[in-house]
Amino acid sequence: MNLFLYPNNQLEEGGRPSQLLEQQNQIVKTCPNCRREVNKDKGVCFCGYHFRISARERISLICDANSFHELFTGLKSKDPLSFPLYKEKLKSVEQISGEEEGVVCGKAKIGRQNCCIFAMEPNFLMGSMGTIVGEKITLLFEYATKNHLPIIGVTLSGGARMHEGLLSLMQMAKTSMAVKYHSDAGLLYIALLADPTTGGVTASFAMEADIIIAEPGATVGFAGKRVIEQTTRRTLPEKFQKAEFVLEHGFIDLIIERSNLRKVLTSLLRMHRGE
Amino acid sequence: MFKKILIANRGEIAVRIIRACKEMGITSVAVYTEADSKSLHVALADEKYCIGKAESKTSYLNQELIISVALLSKAEAIHPGYGFLSENADFAKLCQKNNIVFIGPNPESMKLFSNKSKLKEIITKTGIKVIPGTVVIKTIDEAEKAASAIGYPLMLKACEGGGGRGIRLIFNASMLKASFDEATREALQAFANGDLYIEKYISPARHIEFQILADENKNVVCLGERDCSIQRKNQKLIEESPSPAISETKRLEMMELITKAIKEIGYIGAGTLEFLLDSNGDFWFMEMNLRLQVEHGVTEMLTGFDIVKWQIRIASGMKLDFTQKDIKIKGCAIECRINAKSCGTTHLLNVPGGPSVRFDTFIVTGYTMTPYYDSLLGKLIVFAKTREESLRKLRASLCELVIEGVETNRGEQLQIVLDDKFSNGSYDLTFMNNR
Repeated sequence: MNLFLYPNNQLEEGGRPSQLLEQQNQIVKTCPNCRREVNKDKGVCFCGYHFRISARERISLICDANSFHELFTGLKSKDPLSFPLYKEKLKSVEQISGEEEGVVCGKAKIGRQNCCIFAMEPNFLMGSMGTIVGEKITLLFEYATKNHLPIIGVTLSGGARMHEGLLSLMQMAKTSMAVKYHSDAGLLYIALLADPTTGGVTASFAMEADIIIAEPGATVGFAGKRVIEQTTRRTLPEKFQKAEFVLEHGFIDLIIERSNLRKVLTSLLRMHRGE
Repeated sequence: MFKKILIANRGEIAVRIIRACKEMGITSVAVYTEADSKSLHVALADEKYCIGKAESKTSYLNQELIISVALLSKAEAIHPGYGFLSENADFAKLCQKNNIVFIGPNPESMKLFSNKSKLKEIITKTGIKVIPGTVVIKTIDEAEKAASAIGYPLMLKACEGGGGRGIRLIFNASMLKASFDEATREALQAFANGDLYIEKYISPARHIEFQILADENKNVVCLGERDCSIQRKNQKLIEESPSPAISETKRLEMMELITKAIKEIGYIGAGTLEFLLDSNGDFWFMEMNLRLQVEHGVTEMLTGFDIVKWQIRIASGMKLDFTQKDIKIKGCAIECRINAKSCGTTHLLNVPGGPSVRFDTFIVTGYTMTPYYDSLLGKLIVFAKTREESLRKLRASLCELVIEGVETNRGEQLQIVLDDKFSNGSYDLTFMNNR
């Protein structure tokens, strides 16, 4: 029963921060790279390992405070193929991630410059692209084209969502069309490839950006390393499909650490405006 | 400010709290039972979790379950509403242990103030007159001795009682003897504490309660009083503010006395001090409610201050941004409780409207009234510049209210509002018995 609209009131200011949230932020995690214990709210280990962070954390990291305005909410996946257990899966990941779908879209300000932003959610089926993810990204590109806004897209995905079969694959063509129209209008699209960006997402809008940035150590590829090894019966280099390897081979333009991201994006947006 | 609050309640009060959350930009989390799945509070909340079958003992009263939902949904605070867990110090303690803010007083003062005889000792020290009575009495001999000192008739009450339960009117010594053991047993069963105390029976009297708000910085305001003398079997039916029986000077005097007392005892949050007003115009303190009251809306309509929002703000550590001087008691607000007299499904609902008419409810067309919870369907509150205008508005609004499919007390409430004794304001607690 979703009869009511959302009032979108801003949170009242004042009061003290909640102990519960502080406690949750202090949850200590072991870094998979150097095995040291790290405070989770930092998001980056001493050794430079970048933990996966949620779509909203990512947005608040990149955008100016309180500037994010979410768009295209209320869109939820259906189960067009009656895929076994898909509905249950959707319900549980919705609770775990607190998101309705695998991508969060909206408009925001970065360094006081208007732009559109989308970020994919790792806790929602690893940001896999189903019909709704494709639709929301397409809608955002159309919105940006209409309003002459640049787009920052954080891609993080396991690829097309297998539970929706061919319908997921169609999203590759659909989103690519929208990117093309946005590009034809002379507008800027910057993609930030987070760990992992693979499959159908790499093969469509992730690699179609004007400027492609990756996070250090992110996996960027199409088919998985093991699949390629098993098919070609060849051992692949250790750093294969890591951002640094992909940069060396010319598929991406930059690798930027999380802490510098806002600064770099701000100057890129400014340069594109000719300032 | 809290980003997310869990509402550990149902019915109209859950709807009321969710509304406050929506205005404040707070995400609301509702819990509900299978019997309540079609209730308005579930539809309105941003997140909702089913916590079991209809029985409240295993759902709305299940402390561990509610804490689990709060932790799972990452709610920073829990608003208990009224009833259920709202006066449960153990629950407040459990919240504290889990770093969740309980929107209400802290567990220590809850434990202290919920014991009525202890509270009276504390209040006596502040200079407020307390109904003559005893502290806890353990044996029948003690009771008889105390009774002859106070004089009959008197009331035998349970220390942990509330909501009109655990009270007996005693006329003589033989009646006291006959009732004592029975009352102990009953109190033990209902409140898990068999302690009793004796209090003088004051009659005729009016039930007057003063609303207070206090923050952590010892700022205390009193938002005036409510006259709740229209009661049947200790259940309130109609409440109004200001009381027609109190003069302005007396009100100011009481409000000053109360704010001073609350500062002294160091209470934090919203609270209500209940008094009996005797025929000589003297106030006798009875008890204090450490939570939101059902009838809080009357004070909100009269003063314009949102008590629920202030409860949340105080709990998050904010200071009151107004003082006693900003509180104007002008005009008259009256509330009629609309109760269900039968179960059934509402197939038509018409809610009265117009200027200064408020109807707080949780029912929607198609809602099925079940026998599992209390019978309150909604609260009709009106406000106008004079009492006369308020009465007219209340009568007109009552007639406009239509709930088809469930039998309600709408007609009886209209009869009370039409009664001369009610209209001229000269009623007391005996009003309903004399009808």
